Parts: sequence; C-alpha cells; structure tokens
Amino acid sequence: MDEYIRRALAGVMNHAEVRTQTMRGRNVSVVSGNLVGNSSFVSTGVGARFYQDGVWGFASSSGGGEENVKAVIASAKENAALLHSRRPKHKPALTNARPAEHREQTPFRDTDQKLLTDFARALDSHIETTYKDLASRSVVVRANCIEKTLYTAEGSFAYQLFPRVYVIVVMSMETADGATVELFDVLGGGAGYFTDYYSDPSQLYPAIDKLHTELAAKKEGVFPNAGERLCVIDSEIAGMVAHEAVGHTTEADLVLAGSVAATNLHKQVASPLISLTDFAHTAFGQPAPLPVYVDDEGTECKDAVIIKDGILVGYMNNLESALHFGMEPAGNARAYNYSDEPLVRMRNTALHPGQDKLADMIASVEDGYYLTKTQNGQADTTGEFMFGITMGYEIKNGKLGRALRDTTISGVAFNMLKTVDMLSDTVSWDFAGYCGKKQPMPVSMGGPAIRCKVNIGGR
Amino acid sequence: MERLKQAAAYTLQALRAAGADDAQVSCAEGKAEEFNVDAGEFSLIRSVYSASASMKVIKGRKKGTAAVNQLDKEAIDIAVAECIAAADSGVEDDALSIAALEENADFKEGSLVCDKAAFFDSVIRLTEDIKREYPQIMIEQLIATHSYGKHVVANTNGVLFTEEDGSYNVSVMYSAHDGENATSFNYFDYDFLDPRTDIIALEGVRAMLDRAVAELETRPFTGKFVGTAVFSPACLGDFLGIITGSFTGDIALIEGTSPWKNKLGEKVADERVTVSVIPHDPRIVCGERITSDGYRSEDFDIIKNGVLNSFCLSEYAANKTGLARAKSTSGCIGVTPGEKSLDELIAGVDRGILVCRFSGGEPANNGDFSGVAKNSFLIENGKITCPVSETMISGNMAEMLFHLRGVSAETVCDGASVLPYAAFDGVTVSGGAGDEATSEEG
Repeated sequence: MDEYIRRALAGVMNHAEVRTQTMRGRNVSVVSGNLVGNSSFVSTGVGARFYQDGVWGFASSSGGGEENVKAVIASAKENAALLHSRRPKHKPALTNARPAEHREQTPFRDTDQKLLTDFARALDSHIETTYKDLASRSVVVRANCIEKTLYTAEGSFAYQLFPRVYVIVVMSMETADGATVELFDVLGGGAGYFTDYYSDPSQLYPAIDKLHTELAAKKEGVFPNAGERLCVIDSEIAGMVAHEAVGHTTEADLVLAGSVAATNLHKQVASPLISLTDFAHTAFGQPAPLPVYVDDEGTECKDAVIIKDGILVGYMNNLESALHFGMEPAGNARAYNYSDEPLVRMRNTALHPGQDKLADMIASVEDGYYLTKTQNGQADTTGEFMFGITMGYEIKNGKLGRALRDTTISGVAFNMLKTVDMLSDTVSWDFAGYCGKKQPMPVSMGGPAIRCKVNIGGR
Repeated sequence: MERLKQAAAYTLQALRAAGADDAQVSCAEGKAEEFNVDAGEFSLIRSVYSASASMKVIKGRKKGTAAVNQLDKEAIDIAVAECIAAADSGVEDDALSIAALEENADFKEGSLVCDKAAFFDSVIRLTEDIKREYPQIMIEQLIATHSYGKHVVANTNGVLFTEEDGSYNVSVMYSAHDGENATSFNYFDYDFLDPRTDIIALEGVRAMLDRAVAELETRPFTGKFVGTAVFSPACLGDFLGIITGSFTGDIALIEGTSPWKNKLGEKVADERVTVSVIPHDPRIVCGERITSDGYRSEDFDIIKNGVLNSFCLSEYAANKTGLARAKSTSGCIGVTPGEKSLDELIAGVDRGILVCRFSGGEPANNGDFSGVAKNSFLIENGKITCPVSETMISGNMAEMLFHLRGVSAETVCDGASVLPYAAFDGVTVSGGAGDEATSEEG
C-alpha cells in the first residue's frame, strides 16, 4: 500500500495528498444507574485530494486495499478536473516548500471494554451511595483514537496517533421551586490511553465531592442581573475566550470570507496585556494537551502567534491561504475523518498568563460576577461571541456571594479584549471538547483568569 | 440491496453463534456528491463512498453495541466479537429489547441517481443570482450535496426492512458586507428532489437575504425590557428541537428531570400550540420510514391543542419508564399555522424583537434559557424599527409556550420541517449598559 501510494503521487506537480485513517472509539454511559451506552466503533478508510490551478477535488471510500486507493485517487482527480473545467481560477501551482516527516513510535493500545464499564459503574455506585440529595446522576467514559498516515506529492509523510480519554460526571438536584439544576465536569484524562490516567475510581472522589458542593450552591442560585457587567472569567473557562471569541475570527478561511480580523491585521485589537497563540505541540514549556506534529497537508506544525501584546499579528492558515496572505503556514490544515478534506482548524489555542493572583482579581471587583464553568460556545465572523455559563458567583464588594443559575455571556471580541485589565498567573486547559466547523475536531483551549466587561444574560 | 441483506443475515447468524439471545443489525451503503463554495468562490468537489454495519445484541439480559464501516466478513467478525464482549461487560436490565415483528416492508423514494451536471448548474445559478440580486451578500460557505443511501434493518425476531432513497440539499452560510461594515452570519438549509430547482426561489430564501442586507444598518441595543419575541421559522425549529430533547427525550425521562414528566395528557402550552412529527407529510423530502429502533415510522403529535400527547422516547426509555415508544424518531417537525399574517402579528406588538437566529448556552433542564439574538430586529409600536446587535434574550421555554401571542398563517418548508413564525410574550431583552433604561411590559 505504502509503495503504491508513493508511486501514485510521484510526478504530481501540484499539491496532492492521500490519507489512510482508522478511528476507534469506546463509549460507556451510565444514567442514574442504567448502563444506557456500552458501545465501540471502528472506522477505516482512505481519502485523497488533488489541487488543480486554484480548485480542489476530493474523494474517499471506506475500507482499505490497493484497488480502493486507486479508485479514490482517480475520483479525486476527476473532481478537480470537473471543477476546473466549469469554474477555472487559473491560479499558480501550490506546493509545500518544506515537506515534513514524522513517525509516531508508540503503538496504538486498545482498552478492554470491561475496564471502562467497571470504572463507570464504580463511580456511579459511589455517587449513589454518597450523595442522597441528587435528582439524577450520569457517568460517561470516552476512549477514542485517530490513527492517520499521510502522504503528499511533495514528499511529506506522517504517521500519527491521536488518542484521547476522559470521564464526565453529571449531577442534578431539585430546587425548592421544583426546577432541576445540573452541573457537569470533566474529571482527569488527556491525550493518551485509559490506563495512562485512571486506575482506581477513588482517585476521582475529591473532584466529585467538589462538583457536588458547587451543585448544592447552584441549587440556591440566582439569575444574574442582565446587561454589561464587570466579570472575572476563571482560567477553567478562559480557553473559550481564546477559541470562540478570537480564534475563529482569525482562521484564514473565515478571514477571506470577511471576518472582523480581515481589516485589523497589525492593529491594536486588545489590551496590551493580551497575547494569544495557537500552539502546535508544546505550550508554556510543557507538552500541549492535544499535540499535533504534522498537519493533513504535510506541513510541519509550529506555533501560530495570533495576538502579541494586544496587536493582531497573524492568522491560522492552510497552504493556500498562507500563499494568499504571504504568511508562513504553521500546520493548521486538519481533517477529522478519512472522508473529510483538511480545513483551517485550531489545535491548542490559549491566552498567555499575566502576573495577577486570582484572589486579588476577585477582591478588586465591587459589583460583578465570577464565572467558573462553561458548556458550549459559538463565534461569529463579526467577532461577536457567546458561551454558556453553567457555574458562577456574584461578587459583591470584593467577596464571592450567591451562586448563579445557568446563563450566557456575550460580547464583541476585539471590544471585550480591550477591557481586560487583569490576568492571573496560572493557565488551565480544556482538552475534552470538539470544535464544530463542517466537521468536528478535537481541540484544546486554555488561558488564565481574566478580568473584563461582558454582557451577561439573566432576568 | 442483496449484498446488504446478506451482510445483515451473516451478522445475525454470527451474533447468534456467539451466544446472543436477541440481535439486531443495520447494514448500509451510500454515496454523496458535494460541491463547495468558500468565500464566494467554488473551491472543491467531493465524492464520499460509505458503508456501515451497526449491531446490537442482548445476551443474558445485558446489552452491547458495536459498529464498523466495512461489510466484509472479516470486519463484521471483529465487530461481532466486540459487540459480544460489550454485552458480557454490561449490566442486566429487563428494559432491553429489540424491535418486535409487525409487518416487514421495502421503501424506495426520492432522486436515487445524482444528476451531477444539472445540480451543478443549479448551484452555479444560485451563486450568480445572489451576486446579481444581492451584491452585498458574501457566501461564506455553501455546501451542495446529493446523498444516496440504502440500508437494511434486520433482527432475530424476523424484522426485515429495506430502504433506498436519495435527495439534494443546499446549505448556505452568508453575511452582508459594506466596506468594513459586516453583519452576523446566518444560514439556510433546504432539501429537495429536483436537481434543477431554482434555489433562490425556495420559500423564505429571498426574505432571509433581504433581512441580511437590512442588517447592515444594525446598532447595539442598550437597556433592558420584558416584551414579545417573534421567532422566525428556523429559530422556532431550533427552540422546539431543544424542548423536545430536554422535556420529552430519553435521558430527561429516565433521569426524571423533565418538567413534563407527569404532564402526559395535560396542558403544557397555549391551546393554539400543536407540534407534530411529520416524516410522511408530502412536503417532507425522504422522511424517516424506519425508526432507529427498527419499527415502521409514523406521524404523531407531541403537543395537540396545547396538551402533551406523546413523549419522544426510544423503546428502551419507554420500557424503562412505562411510557409509550414514540412512533417516529425523526426530527421532521410541523407546527400548525395560525390565522394572522406575520405582519399582523408584528402590528400587535408594542415592544419586542424579531429573532431570526439564536446563539445561546445549553438551556437548563427546566427550560431556562439565555443567549444572543442574532440577525434580529427591534419591534416598537407594531413596526420593525431597526436591526440590533449585541442583544441578549432570556426566559423559560416551558413558560413561554403558555405565553403565546400568536402563530403566523404563513409557513416555511425547508424539506425537513414545516414551521410558521411564532410570537411569545414575557421574554427579557437586554443589551449593553443595561441599568439605564429598564421597563417592564407584558
């Protein structure tokens, strides 16, 4: 297979790539004691993409084998030729000047399904027997791995594994008025395999206890006073600011579609305290939560610096957009499944830390909110962002007050970032999410606690 | 179809041989042809050939499921072993079941063969129509797809369904631009059967593009008031999707967190509210024919004249809760229209907002929601006065259904749903500097 693909790409003058891929996943869900999810999947296939004078042809098929690869390559070439014949762009050849090579040395390790079901059931049993005031409880275990082998016409080769594992615990309580409040958290896990992170369920008991305490406070929670408010956004959710508020608007395909970043390059878009980077595989001297070494166009992954000291200095690019903008590609072209073409995607996107202490930041707020947990978010090309807040507290005269019910915060990124006047000195990461943009994509996001003004929903 | 039937039969036989008491399998093959436009220019043609075998087994009152995307014996054998191993690691549960044998059937409908040339012409015409009629509109992304699929559902009770269908879909994400001035993105998504469809003429498309251009005059909303939210058909569909999931879905009923858990047969909305699942409606393109549990799909009412008529439960959740299984597992929602036009609805609103897209956090289990009103317009004294940005709305979905002001007579069918505009009172609208100008109204 290896030789066949290399031969098929030999002599192709434009960029082209062939990717074989296997996705494996194991999922266990226990809902209030019921094992409602107990499944596994394997998905194997090949995808090929060819560039022809400004347009692309892509094709994919499940399964493997030389005949399959041959058919996929032929179909991708036909598609590129068809589009070129109907909508020619006559753009110059596209090539990757610096082909990359990377071979993952650690082999894939499968996990026994029983290990996951036993672990989930043990956690569920602990929660059931320990906390009698819950209306419902759920435990979810996810162990997935994406295995990719990439060949490009320029000679890039990459064999990479992207394993990811995590445990989610969800609890709910009934309030005095008969409503139900819910809270969840990701407990442990990361880029790797189940046994790298989990052995004894009891290791998660302290985190579960903290979640229960927070939920009990939320049960007595109040709605925020809707409007623009001074907030301290905890480091646990600062990644959402990095990803949703800024990250998406600086993806080069969205810049070309007219995002707010298009007219702000080299301009002051944030407080001078703000620096933001999409890290490839190493961040702040540590391995990034979801490291990527070579992207799906065969570009060696480097850090993409987006904002430096408040100035917008760059975008996240694929080969084509990097050529358009005259920028160095940093390896942001990523495809989710074998059947997906590479798109401009984030990897490990984070705001850089400052020098403030979280306690001082809270103490500095006379009337505002401290927001600590989020669930989902959405960006807009205008820079207007929102994300859901599932846990937070009032701040009154520098002290934490009542907990909050679920709410949403929003703002316009480059306006909101100019209001940032304090950043904590520690960074937290969220690695368990998927970013949605035509295809899903595992991404991580991080940052320090931020003091800023945002709009908050409420009553 | 024979290859799929053989793969299904082989899978059931292998699961039986491995110790299954009951087993069910779905084998499928498909092909998608796709045209992509990015930043206003055609960028990619994509062809995707797919296959899958998804299996469920009950062994010793324990369940396991597994899926694989190949139909050869070797791949299925591995998946069968995984499925049995999952069941062995499971928990005994009397609520587990597979579909009962009723009446087997074969279904075939839609545009089974992609007319790639004609469809490409239609998509080119759409991009040219938009460029000519709406020069300020930027197509951020357009994805035009013909999807063909066939699948077999079979189980050890003797159930054997086959289904083959094909349809066209266009999904367009767009925004309006005038110099450095730009609007929020919005999108439309339509299913249809004719590859020569005049896409810009589909109901609701020009109205959405007209509004996008009007949004160039947007201004941030300041202050806060409680008023009327008029939801566009697409936005109403998003809200109803959340309500059906959070109030009538499996997890909400198994956990007992649904605020409607004891409301079957009781009033949960204004009596003018009827919400149905309509996969067989002739306006729906290739609606569901086989439920995800393996039963023949039927239309049904979730809410009829304001009364909760049915939950949306799988057979497992139904067995678990003692409630009835939903007759369809599709998301094809239809809402019965009202008698007033949209203009008449708006004319009756003193202060409110026309919400054309909602971008918000996951609503709480009890229906509390808050989020940004995107692509939205302020309504004052019965008239749309200006487009607004940086505006949030909040309220409670369960309460909102009782505070219905009206449902429009006109509906929009996108091939997957048939929805009117709907106006609800008691929604909080807030913007920046929220304390300065607050007022309350019903």
